[in-house]
Amino acid sequence: MRRITLWLLSTVAALVLLFSYKTSTMGPGGDTSAITSGSDGSAGSSWTATDDGSGTGSGSSGGSSGGSSSGSSGGSASGSGTATGSVAQTRWGPVQVKITVSGGKITDVIAVRVPDGNRRDQEINDYAVPILRQEALAAQSARIDTVSGATVTSDGYRESLQAAIDAAHLK
Amino acid sequence: MTAAVADRRPVRRLLPSAPAWWGDAAGTAAALSLLVVAALWTADRGVQELLGGLATGLTSLGRLAGLVSADLMLIQVVLMARVPLIERRFGQDRIARWHRLAGFTSFHLLLAHVALTALGYAGTARRGVLAETWDLVVTYPGMLLATAALALLVLVVATSVRAARRRLRYESWHLLHLYAYLGVALALPHQLWAGADFVGSAAARAYWWTVYLLALASVLVYRLGLPAWRSLRHRIEVAAVVPEAPGITSVWLRGRDLHRLPVRAGQFLLWRFLDGPGWSRAHPYSLSAPPNGDLMRITVKDLGDGSARVVALRPGTKVLVEGPYGRLTGEHWRGGGITMLACGVGITPLLALLWELPYAPGEAVLLYRARTPADLAFRAELDQLAAERGLVVHHLVGPRAARPSWLPAYAEGMSDAEALRRLSPGIAAHDVFLCGPDGWVDAARAATRAAGVPDARTHHECFAW
Repeated sequence: MRRITLWLLSTVAALVLLFSYKTSTMGPGGDTSAITSGSDGSAGSSWTATDDGSGTGSGSSGGSSGGSSSGSSGGSASGSGTATGSVAQTRWGPVQVKITVSGGKITDVIAVRVPDGNRRDQEINDYAVPILRQEALAAQSARIDTVSGATVTSDGYRESLQAAIDAAHLK
Repeated sequence: MTAAVADRRPVRRLLPSAPAWWGDAAGTAAALSLLVVAALWTADRGVQELLGGLATGLTSLGRLAGLVSADLMLIQVVLMARVPLIERRFGQDRIARWHRLAGFTSFHLLLAHVALTALGYAGTARRGVLAETWDLVVTYPGMLLATAALALLVLVVATSVRAARRRLRYESWHLLHLYAYLGVALALPHQLWAGADFVGSAAARAYWWTVYLLALASVLVYRLGLPAWRSLRHRIEVAAVVPEAPGITSVWLRGRDLHRLPVRAGQFLLWRFLDGPGWSRAHPYSLSAPPNGDLMRITVKDLGDGSARVVALRPGTKVLVEGPYGRLTGEHWRGGGITMLACGVGITPLLALLWELPYAPGEAVLLYRARTPADLAFRAELDQLAAERGLVVHHLVGPRAARPSWLPAYAEGMSDAEALRRLSPGIAAHDVFLCGPDGWVDAARAATRAAGVPDARTHHECFAW
């Protein structure tokens, strides 16, 4: 075989192997779309009371994703329970937080959904989400600072957190 | 073939000049493309992130380096596609210089992009750089392809560094250089899938696809399609091979409808003679006689780079052509006097111009430099031009001067500019055409400048790129 033919064959073979690797054809962010349509919770905010003394039952507000909607339920500012914020759609994917309220205070913030379409997102969230949680617990509001390097997630986090706070009728 | 020469009459083949705005349009497009990627970066919080901490700052800077590098690479693809608009306006010598400059610049930016992004990502993830780099390569979308692209571009640049370039056969170097196209293409997926500026914006993605497809189209149309079509249409083949002087050979070429080949005197084409192994190398040879009827002529000096093969060409050998290219034409000549300075085989394009340009008798002066009387080519033809067109010919024959000069050794007592003024008294108001080896042309240019010829009226193209 002539050398030029060998070169051509090797090049084609290398290309075939390269493109058979999964990241070569996966598109942006892998399973982002699957996460967006995930089954975890509704797009709107919701409030679930756990303290029989104040709130009665649970309510949820519909509404589209992104907007911070106030719940139309019988939540109570002084009650206890959990409130899930609406889904904030960011360019990297959905962000949604759930807060635990006890005696009118936010006692915990859990990021139910964060962008995790690729490793980069996961790495960013791994350090940004704990910081955002600390900030939210300290501030007891959605007026928290953006975490450097995680601007998009911070924006979404604030938005969903505000919706959750509204649903819990805090402040 | 002498008969064909004797019958030759100046053929006016004046094509429209390349308008000045072509250059402005090309330059503006290149600048705009750089502006767009810079704007993409700024719009995507490039500046804020740059100042937002070490890791974020490194990532942001890496993003900018990647964007500019990718844009410069696409600019090079278009530059080297031989688009007439760019080619006719700037000439291949300048374009080749820019390609080298943009090539190394974009490669250094690419290395910066890789290093900054790896450091920035590792910083954000609070991990070691090597572990993070490994993850980047194997888990991020399109990144394995991008790594292959990097390897190919490293290969292309490493083989183009002057020291390596000299050691490689032209054919090997050229083949390896083609991998640059593959490298640029393999970089696209990671830009679209992992590039922060493109993932988040459909408009940015659409723009980027457009730029990539335009670059691809320019290569397919002008680098492949047009030459293939011209070669097929004109079916050029060798008609005769004629020795002109020691080491200087003319090849007459026959083709169909050569009057439709848009070539001007002073231009060159890239020739591939299908005479056996090694045919794939294209040789840039100027026409010494533009098409007349179904014939045209090139004249070649044996420079030891495969040009000796033309001596052995047989009539009937098929020829593939690319071109015509080149700016050493009469299109910027505004009438009036002409001085031409030729050295050695540099006479070739000037001879074609002397046949083409409609100067009045006594208005054109040819200063023809050669080492020995035997090295003077085209004596009969120059005599004919002198008799029929009133061309004034001065031969300057002898070994080269000890100092850098366009003059031969015997005349080096005279200043270069003074010699020009004596041999061509009106030169200060003439259009000057120069062709010869680089060092000689540099000396000749210095002399014409000193003799008062403005740069805008000096016409020259460098062939030793």
